[in-house]
Amino acid sequence: MVTKPNFDTLVEAHSAEIFAYLWRMVGEKADVEDCLQETFLRAFRGYSHLVSGSNYRAWLYKIATNVARTHFSRRKRAAIHKVKIDPSRLQGGISPVDELDRQEMLMVVLEAVEGLPYKQRAAFMMRKYQGLSYHTIATVLGGTEDAARANVYQALKKLRAQFVTVTEGSREKPWAKR
Amino acid sequence: MGEEMNVEREYGNWLDEVDSVSPPDFFTAVLDELYARGPNPQETAQAQEQLRRAMASVGHERMYYDVLPRSPIGSVYIALSERGVVAIDFSDGEEAFLSWIRKRTGVYPLRSPERTAEATHQVEEYLAGKRAAFDLPIDMRFLTDFQRTVLRAVMKVPRGEVITYGALARVIGQPKAARAVGRALGSNPIPIVIPCHRVLASDGSLGGYSGRGGVRTKADLLRLEGVSL
Repeated sequence: MVTKPNFDTLVEAHSAEIFAYLWRMVGEKADVEDCLQETFLRAFRGYSHLVSGSNYRAWLYKIATNVARTHFSRRKRAAIHKVKIDPSRLQGGISPVDELDRQEMLMVVLEAVEGLPYKQRAAFMMRKYQGLSYHTIATVLGGTEDAARANVYQALKKLRAQFVTVTEGSREKPWAKR
Repeated sequence: MGEEMNVEREYGNWLDEVDSVSPPDFFTAVLDELYARGPNPQETAQAQEQLRRAMASVGHERMYYDVLPRSPIGSVYIALSERGVVAIDFSDGEEAFLSWIRKRTGVYPLRSPERTAEATHQVEEYLAGKRAAFDLPIDMRFLTDFQRTVLRAVMKVPRGEVITYGALARVIGQPKAARAVGRALGSNPIPIVIPCHRVLASDGSLGGYSGRGGVRTKADLLRLEGVSL
């Protein structure tokens, strides 16, 4: 008989990772903190119904994915949201020639990412930046591993296609050269 | 299924790209610029500290909620503390309602049709036109003093009567505060039971209403109470 861990143990073990995931999915700092609390409060509410021995990590990811989705649909409805980049989020890894181009480039990709179908975006972030296995992603999204793979693939394909369209439209710009 | 296998075979190299690109091309570099760093340790520590605090308050106070799913004005959510009704909402869905209460009170309500039975029953009767007044305790702890004053005053306006924002401002002894009165009513957390729909603009027009359906709902509620518009 496997006993379930104390809920506080789950909070300590997974809150940093879930926070990073929400950071990537949600963006605005205050909203990310809020979504983190919402995720664990929802989890707490459902914890007694969870079967012991479940994949707790995938379960928390699943709740976080839903919380972020609710957050987005509310924000979309408010329709005042403008995508913007908080400079403190950037790691300073690219150095295109002038700052305007750099900003423009980042905006294009950010908007393209936010424009992805939600499942694709979630799958993509979980795979590329959270390092989850396709098996776990499938558990989170509720489908097969192949479906999880297809979601990541579709996301990447769309992002690259948009990126290429924009960069080809400005071939004279130095950063567009590979 | 067969199709997905195909995807795998055909685009296997795309998927490899997700896992490792070396050397990274410019597209990947831009993506990484936005997402690779992740939150910094201070941000994470701060968020975790807030989370611990939020979790610690769970269970210290209990609130309960339930929904009236098919009322004439759509789904109506009702939340109660041990002291009385905390919130009624018929604008957003369940999760939005719960998250709003949590932000406002720090408590995450639990679903309990039993504990909310009396309140939902009264609201149901009212919306069916079978009840004139409510007999429910109200929990106003989570409001400002001014909001409390305004909402207590509007609770004295009986069914079938209306008052203007200006007149209500005079009732509470702040004749110049009609606008602030309007704002306090606009953020009324317990519509219907606290009848902010009975307050109209001074020209007799409906003014505003922030519940689902806006002023149309306001008009419906007033007609239900026998006010001719």
